[in-house]
Amino acid sequence: MPHTGMSLPIAGTAPFSGANETIRLEEVSFGYGSELVVKDVSLTIPAGAFVTLLGPSGCGKTTLLRLLGGYLVPERGRIFLQGRDVTTLPPNLRQVGMVFQSYALFPHLNARQNVAFGLEVRGRAPAIVRQQVDAVLDRVGLSSEERDRYPSQLSGGQQQRVALARALAFEPPVLLLDEPLASLDRHLREQVRLELCRIHRQSAVTTVMVTHDQEEALASSDIVGVMQSGRLLQVGTPRELYDRPLSPFVARFLGDANLIEGRRLGMNPTALVLIRPERVQIGSNWPGRVMAVNYHGADLVADVQCSDFVLKIRTRAVTELAVGDAIALDLPQDNLWEIPAESTPR
Amino acid sequence: MNRTTSFLSVGPSAALVFGLVISPLLLLLRVSLYEPAVGRGFYSPGTVTLANYATLADSHILSIAGFTLFCGLAVATASLAIAYLLGIFLCSLPARQQLVALGLILVPKTAGLLAMLFGLQRWLPRGLLAAIIAEVYLVLPYSVLVIFIQIRSLNPILGQAARGLGANRWQIFQRVTLPLSFPGMFLAFQLGLMWGLGAFLGPLFLGGPNETTLAVELHRQAFEYGRWPLAAAEAVVLLVLVGSAALGLPAIARLRKVAHL
Repeated sequence: MPHTGMSLPIAGTAPFSGANETIRLEEVSFGYGSELVVKDVSLTIPAGAFVTLLGPSGCGKTTLLRLLGGYLVPERGRIFLQGRDVTTLPPNLRQVGMVFQSYALFPHLNARQNVAFGLEVRGRAPAIVRQQVDAVLDRVGLSSEERDRYPSQLSGGQQQRVALARALAFEPPVLLLDEPLASLDRHLREQVRLELCRIHRQSAVTTVMVTHDQEEALASSDIVGVMQSGRLLQVGTPRELYDRPLSPFVARFLGDANLIEGRRLGMNPTALVLIRPERVQIGSNWPGRVMAVNYHGADLVADVQCSDFVLKIRTRAVTELAVGDAIALDLPQDNLWEIPAESTPR
Repeated sequence: MNRTTSFLSVGPSAALVFGLVISPLLLLLRVSLYEPAVGRGFYSPGTVTLANYATLADSHILSIAGFTLFCGLAVATASLAIAYLLGIFLCSLPARQQLVALGLILVPKTAGLLAMLFGLQRWLPRGLLAAIIAEVYLVLPYSVLVIFIQIRSLNPILGQAARGLGANRWQIFQRVTLPLSFPGMFLAFQLGLMWGLGAFLGPLFLGGPNETTLAVELHRQAFEYGRWPLAAAEAVVLLVLVGSAALGLPAIARLRKVAHL
């Protein structure tokens, strides 16, 4: 069962117990002026998890990340890091690494100096600084020539690696990533995303990433939290959220969704029923007519008019479908998910 | 763009530069090469001599040139230090208060300069310190503006990033704000140096007999003693000094940057 504002196990690990929590938010609220942009958010994140806060622009996800980092102080609620109340603690005393959306690399320092910054201000010995800087730059895969370059001489992907290395160098227990892939082109984004996952696995640092890209969130995370208008609507594993959303918003935000009134399918008349387009099968039970076909390379996406509702279907591109074709569809019972009636503001 | 339109766009600017910058410089250079007047007039027309430049090697003029250099460096250093502190202070204020504070700093430029200097003269005893203070006072609004704009243009996210990496306020200033404001500091220093090298009103109104700069000296030679060729030669030397500050310092900075990279 999905959770809202709760603690969760990491997929494939032992269920979470309070002993291994890294981050705990208790009814945290924050506003600019009179308007609250984060509303009563409660969340517990187990150690080592990769958590993504997903939501549209302006939903409060970056503000929540900045509250975690100590760059903002909540108006209400409390924040705990490794069991310690850090609600009003400034960022420099929190032991939290952060990668900013713009990377925020120091332009007057080369890659190596940028990475050394956090260690130097902590007064680590120069030999240890050198050793740790090299180790973390090895881990993010920055070549030795690139290490002596200034940010302006590095590509977007290289800058991203330096920012990540800088945030990891002082070995924080928590890493915050603010839309880390947003400034990269599509090809590089996938490559860097895979590297982020690899680095997370290697370092086992508890990671909280903010993004508005649902594919990125589903592919990278152990846990995803979907936000809307300052509220954390639902928290769960990517599969839980995709297959069993608790609101139409979550259903739609995580991907294409057919939301049909329950009465039309002979189900709970007050509920909406979700079926993902790829779960609709071409069969015999629901006759319809193809209204539109969009070719996506590997897949075809078609809108099919079935009696008094339209279904979006996704099928392999080898299927021959054309506008006007009469086809029949099946909606397998296992693939239908009722969205509870109380959550039906759409 | 065809030739006519490019001439029309460049022509007026070129005429302005020639009429207001190049031709006065050429005239000045020519006057510095005349022999002094015999009888009436300011110089002997038709003559050509380097004697006026030779006169500049006189120990009195050399000491004036030395003081001029000192004045330039002192004004540059003091104005930079004060402007930096004021710039940091201004940047820490909310936007509306910044405007008010900037207005107050710019007041000396909008009020009558001579009136302000007479005011300073009432409570500052004439001498080296008073002359330098007066010149710093005069150049400070420009220096503050330069520093303020530079610091304000720094991306605030860099300070936050430094904070998140564990830096305290002093470390952020020392390792991020200060080095990133070097270009503005350099410009403010250069401005102060050029201003101080050409110092005139401060030494004239508030300086003692030993605080004579080249600008004051050439004014005396020209308007008190009527020695226009010598004054013109002094003006040429002063222009070379100010020009060196204007062009030489950036060149050195560029070389250092290249070496740095």
